[in-house]
Formats: sequence, structure tokens, C-alpha cells
Amino acid sequence: MASAFDERVRRRDAEAKTTGGATYGADLAVAGMLHAKVLRSPHPHAAIVSIDTAAAAAVPGVRAVLTAADLPSGITPYYGYIIKDQPIVAIDTVRFAGDVVAAVAADSEAAAAEALERIHVVYRVLPAVTTIDAALADGAPELFPEAPPGAVPRYGAGARGALRPRSNVSYEFAYQTGDPAAFDRCDHVFEDEFRFSRMQHFHLEPYVGIASATRKQIEVWTSTQNPFPLRRELARMFRLPENRVRVNVPLVGGSFGAKSNCKTEPVAIVLSQMTGRPVRWCMTFEESFFTNSQHAALLRLRTGVMRDGRLVARQSEIFLDAGAYSGASPLVAEKCGYRIPGPYRYDFIDTRCSCVMTNTTPAGAFRGFGGAQATWASESQIDMIARRLGITPYAMRALNLLHFGDPFVPGETAIDSDLHVGLDLVIDELGAIERTPNRGVGFAIGLKDGGGINKAAQARVKITTGGEVTIDCATVEAGQGARSSLCQIAAEVLSTPVDRVIISPIDTDQSPYDHGTNASSATVVMGRAVLAAAERVRDEVLRFTATALSCDPSELRLENWHAVRGEESHSIAELVLREFGNIGFQFAADGFQKAPLDERAPLDSPCVFWEIGWAAVAVAVDPGTGKVTIEKLVVSGDAGKAINPLVCRGQDEGAAMMGVAQALFEQMVFDDGILMNGDPLVYRVPLAEDVPVSFVSILQEQGRGPGPFGAKGFAEGGLLPIAAAVANAVDDAVGVRITELPISPQRVHRALFLQKSPTVGVTA
Amino acid sequence: MAVSDLIDDRLDGDETPALRFVLNGVEHTETVPARMSLWELLHDRLTLQGTKLACSRGVCGSCSVLIDGVPQASCSTFAFSIDGRHVDTIEGIAAAAHPLCEAFAARSAFQCGYCTSGMIVIAKALLDREPHPTRQTVIEWLSSNVCRCTGYAMIIEAVLAAAERGADG
Repeated sequence: MASAFDERVRRRDAEAKTTGGATYGADLAVAGMLHAKVLRSPHPHAAIVSIDTAAAAAVPGVRAVLTAADLPSGITPYYGYIIKDQPIVAIDTVRFAGDVVAAVAADSEAAAAEALERIHVVYRVLPAVTTIDAALADGAPELFPEAPPGAVPRYGAGARGALRPRSNVSYEFAYQTGDPAAFDRCDHVFEDEFRFSRMQHFHLEPYVGIASATRKQIEVWTSTQNPFPLRRELARMFRLPENRVRVNVPLVGGSFGAKSNCKTEPVAIVLSQMTGRPVRWCMTFEESFFTNSQHAALLRLRTGVMRDGRLVARQSEIFLDAGAYSGASPLVAEKCGYRIPGPYRYDFIDTRCSCVMTNTTPAGAFRGFGGAQATWASESQIDMIARRLGITPYAMRALNLLHFGDPFVPGETAIDSDLHVGLDLVIDELGAIERTPNRGVGFAIGLKDGGGINKAAQARVKITTGGEVTIDCATVEAGQGARSSLCQIAAEVLSTPVDRVIISPIDTDQSPYDHGTNASSATVVMGRAVLAAAERVRDEVLRFTATALSCDPSELRLENWHAVRGEESHSIAELVLREFGNIGFQFAADGFQKAPLDERAPLDSPCVFWEIGWAAVAVAVDPGTGKVTIEKLVVSGDAGKAINPLVCRGQDEGAAMMGVAQALFEQMVFDDGILMNGDPLVYRVPLAEDVPVSFVSILQEQGRGPGPFGAKGFAEGGLLPIAAAVANAVDDAVGVRITELPISPQRVHRALFLQKSPTVGVTA
Repeated sequence: MAVSDLIDDRLDGDETPALRFVLNGVEHTETVPARMSLWELLHDRLTLQGTKLACSRGVCGSCSVLIDGVPQASCSTFAFSIDGRHVDTIEGIAAAAHPLCEAFAARSAFQCGYCTSGMIVIAKALLDREPHPTRQTVIEWLSSNVCRCTGYAMIIEAVLAAAERGADG
């Protein structure tokens, strides 16, 4: 039988998704459901003086109007990860333009929308801080004068966290290892500052959920990546036992980190409790821009080197723009700070990363999870230092790269890919370019700890009388193909065709427990749980068959639901029917996976694997306009073992194109806290015409991942190195260094102007 | 929602025009509210849920359908405007076993799949006009739609493969 990992094996959702047969959260309806709409603040920061909802409530078809005054007593109306500071609806204060002030449930979306226009809110506008710099300025207005509601998680060696170490900073992560005196030994110490732009996830399926709730129990059907953590959060907020909250998750139409923790659910739940009817809230596309985003960042790096290019010490001070509420920001700060060393050896590392609260859209989980920000600064500075020392960027990296098996930092998982191999691959593929004026090449390596911290996953594998296989697990399909990969893993273990394996729908009342579909973890972490369950159920089947055939299980192997012993082949279905009185049976076994706790690891648990993205790029810069054109882009990742090679390719290329957009043009633009391009018509995402003329992705299978059959996670690495590789190529082409994203024509043109006229008193 | 924002004031919102149209090759008669979008008619009333609503502004192309062979954003098209027209959706294209569906499935030219119906619709419109498009032509056509997942290369290749297969068959 062909391997379950053959390139011709199709995704399990291929037919549904290419024929219009796939059903998403946005397609769902529940009998009798109402429709919700919310009123959002026009002000970045204001006190709510009064809200008059009488006229709204009188609109025909309106069933309930929700403001802070209507929140039921006895609930905890705030959510977030480490810091729970975001209210279901604004309580006394709005903190960004787009903050939810009130909500309406009505018979139709149109009636709800009409009602919103009749809600009269009186605001007292407060001074706002809408950028990192403004929030950190002395005497800046504060978003949260009180202590953040939360607790610092446990860390291991060298790491610590702090709640609200200064005004407008909700959380700071710090990590140190080695001897601070290392800086004294350096021949040179370079200090550079970088700015990272903020993108929106732009998932095509909007945020959508349906809630059916009473004060005693809640059921939601929602587009989320993390059903069980959401269940726990909702149980906590609504003070219900966890087993009285039921979360159902259909196919998710794109997420990239966006659909994590509470989004539509709390508003829909309260409205459902108020009306006694199921309530659906499908946000508009524009509302996505008010709900979640990537983190803009200011990154200051201080890096000490020897004159031969050897890296000795690195310090970082990073400020992430967390927006108005904490959400996942403390976790992103942790990862951004932790990843700032990049894939290199140092004698000393000292990193701090803070969440800065601003009166803008809350930032949260976004593909890369702090790794994109860290890689942008780190890989830009490595190139800058090489050029200052007069050595090539390649030699600089070759000298300092961690080797396979080196720990990233003491106590952490060893590097599980050969970094040099990947670098040489992308550079060789890029090939020699014609060294004409204004053309150049650059490369970069992104690295992130993958698989999540201390993640737990359970799975169950069931086999019917006829040999059809069902996997129960809560891995969410948001496009990444993980549920197909899990089917392939089970099929390989059970020696059965992949098309005989399905995964059951996600329902927290029925599905085995899982920490969530994030951090590129599913194929490795859930994959190991599925692998264990499949091996167990296989062994159980072999024991059953051996008993029936009066032989030893070790004499048998499975092959397409037959027990094979030498030349004999026995139908297991027939043996089952004989044993179970012609009615039938279902075999089942469970699998479990969790990384160990280990206080020697800085983040309290060694990372599961390293996700690495290599990129090499050739650019042409138009000196007249500053426009940068990517003439060739080569990206590569190490899948360890590609469970589905085409899926891996799609992940790497999709992530890389997000990186291209971040590098060249895509960003949310705020003016005094008002989002200027929060609309699909003017917010620019990459189109087919933005794909570089020459775009090559190379799938590596170095075979040393911790997942089933040597697999590693693969969903984010492609994004990490692109922006720095482009900046490095622009420097190579025209000798200007862009340290702020995006690398827009305006920015490059200005830098070229300053390069030619250094005496003109213009500050960049 | 988007369509009703733009509704022509001359139309009474309570008016219910009666329509006759051919949907995926089958004649239909429907009476619809004047404000109903074509997407609502297809997705909610006729339960053809393969056509996906995303931006609601006629920008992203996810809700594309063919009206007399021309790709249109069903979110931004009034249902009443299809009176007397031929409408084809992903379901009709799939039922006819168009090589595009097979090419997208075999080549994994999708991820979350939310844009896929629209991509196949726009590609069909292209192949109906130009059975042998150049790569550049494919790129120009697909650039009317957004895919946030794939990075496009595999979609472009699937359309070219379908064109080749269509020519063979």
C-alpha cells in the first residue's frame, strides 16, 4: 500500500472546499436565532457620561439592548489571558475608537443596525495616547491607573515577568543568561533601533459565533482556534461549572492567530440570556480591524561583537504596542523578548520586552507571535554589523549560527535543524544575480520556539467493524491542513487508506481535551497524541485477532483491515462479527501528549521544537521612486518529515507572502488613534499580482523533529525572515538601511535623498 | 448589509419583485424583498452555501458568481437584478465536474477554503473566454480576488493545470 504521506494524498477537506460543500461558522444558523450588532466608540479615549437606549429598544424587531448597566450581577465581565482587563461592553470608559459600547439583539441584522443609530451616548473625551512613544512619555494619560487584574505566570531559570512595571505598561518580560561583563570584552558594541508595523489578520471569514445561553448553561458555535481554553474562560466569566459550557467549532475560514479567546461569544451569550433566544453575532469585515491586530513594535538592540564578527553579547529593550486591552499581549511579549537572540551563540543575553497600552485596536496573537518583530530587528542588525565590520553577511552568520544539537539558551531544547544547510540551500537557489546598479541580494533566518509552552493534547482513535477510522480530537481546521495530517498519521499507523479516516466535529462535551490550535503545534503535539492512540488501538486489534486466531500478536500485522500472518490474510470484520454475535463492535484507544515541566527551562517547559524560516531575496530598487521590486524570493522551512508535502508548501508560501506584504506595503495606519484604512477597499493585502516573478519554496525534511515520523510544525516560519531579508537586500542594492516597516517607496526615496544630501537638515 | 446601504431611494424597501432566472441550469421563480442581495438569496434562501460572504463590499471576490458568464460580487448585487439572467455558482460548476475543481483539489490550491469558491468562479470565467491563458493573464484575473492563506502560487498553477486538462479533454 502507498505511504499515507505520498504527495498524491489529498487533504481530507479537498472535495468539500473545491465544490462549495464546506460549511463554516459563518454558514451556521440555529432555529429561532436573533442577530446582534454592536455600537462602537468613535473616540480613542472617553468617559461614558450617559447612554439612552429607549429609542433603540422601541425599534420593531429589537429584542434586547445591552449596555454595561444591563450586565447580569454575579458575573465577571472581563476577559484576557494573563491580564483580564477587556470588558464584554465598555464599563464607564472607552479605550479605543471601535470599543464596544452597546449591543442589540433583533430579529434581523437590519433591525439591529437601525437600533444602533438610535442609541444616544454622551461621551466626555479624555486625552488619548495612540502611539508607543506617546504612552511612554512622562505625564502621559493612563489607560489603566489601577493595578492590572492578573498574575505573573511561573518562569524557570533566568526569566521573570512583572505586572505594570511603569505607567501604561501592563506587563514586562525579562530574561538574562551569562555574564554581563561580556560586553567589556567586546571590540565593538552597536546600538540600533527598529520599528515594526502592524498588520491585521484579514481572515476572510469574519468573526462569527452563535450563543444559546441561560444563567445555568451555555452553548456556543463559534469560529475559534482554542475551544477548551475558551470554554474555561467563559465558565470563569459566567461563573458556571466548566461542564455546563459547551463549545462547538466548525471549519474556520482563516485565523492566523486572530480567533483566540473571547471574540463574539460574551456579547452573544449575554444577549441570549436576556432574550431567551439563540443569538448570532457575525461581525462585518470592518469590525475585524476593531477586534484584533498584530503588534507594532519599537525594538532597541545593543549587540557586542569581536572584530572578526563573533557575537558576544546582546541586550534588547522592546516595546510592543498592545493597544487598548491586554489580550494575548503578555504572552507575545514573553516570546518576542525570548526570541531576540535569533539562531546565534552569545556569552551574554539580556532582554526585556514590554506591553505598552495605547488607545488603539487591541493587539493579540498573530502568526509569528512576537517572532516576526524579533526577527525583523535581529536579522537586520546582524547584517548591519557585518557591513560595519567589513565582512560579508554570510560569513557573519556562518561564524555565529548555532549548530544542530546546541541549546538555544541553557536549559532549553537543542536546535533540531541544521541551520547552515538551510541557509546554503536558499542562497544556492537564489543563484548569482547580475550586479547591475540598484540591484542587490539579502537573506535572513527566522527562528521561533514552536509547539507552545507545556501544551497538553488528548486524542481518541476508533475503528468500526468494517475498519473505518474516526479520530476524536479538538484540533481546529483553520486552513492549515492539520486535521488531514492527523488522518494521515493514523492511516499510516493502521496501514489503511487515508480516505477511510475521518475526524469528528469539535464539541467540548464530546471531544478529548486539547490546549488549542496554535503555535504550529497540531501536527507535532496533537500528532503525538493521535499516534499514541492509533498505536494503542492497533495493538488492541492485533491482540483481539491473535486470540481469535489462536496465535501470538507478534505474528500478525495489519494491512487494510486484514490481519496478515505470513501468507494468510484474515478479514478482521469477519472475526469481529463472529466474536460479537453479528452485531459488530468498535475498537477505541486514547492517546495523550504533554511536554514536561522543567524549571531549568526559562519558560518553565522546554519548547517542543524549533520552527525555522530561511529566506533569500533579490531586489531591484528604482532610485527615482524608491520602489522596491522583489525579483526573486526563495524561502525554505524544515518540516522534519512532511506528512503532507503540498500542505507544507502552501503553509510556507502563504506565510512568506504575508511577510512580503509586511516588508513592502501592508500596515494599519492610525491618525491620532483613528484607523484610516480599516476597510477592505483601502487596506492593501497581497494579491496574485504581488507574487514575485520568481518565487521558490524549498521543502526540507531533515528528519529530526519530535513529532510523528520526525515531523515538526510548519505554519509560521515562512513569515519570519522576509522583511529583514528585503531590508538587507535593499542595503546591498543601494546602500541605505531602512529600519522601519514597511519598506515603502516613500521611505526608500527619502533615505536615498538623505544619502545624497547628508547635510540637508531633514530627519528621517 | 452593504447592498442595503446603497439602495436606490426610488425603490420602496417593501417592494417584492418577482424574478425568473436560470440558476445552475435550472429555471427558478422567486419573489424577493427589494433590498435583498443576490448573496442572501443564494446562501440563505436557496441554501447554496458554497458562495461565501467575506468583505460585503465587493472587494475580496469570495462571493463571486457568474451572471450571464460575467463574474460579479453577489454581496453587492441586488437579487432583483438577476431577473431574466443566467446565474452560475460554485455548486453548478462543481456539478458539471469542471476540471478547475479537480485541479484545485489535487494540487491543494486552497487552505481555509473560504475564498476557493470565488477563485474557481473567476477562473472559470477566464477559461470560458480564454481556454489557454498565459500565466500573466491568469495572474491578472486572479488579482481581482483575495486569498489570505496560500500565497497564490499554487492557485495560479491549478488554473494553468485545469486549462491544460480542459484542452486535452
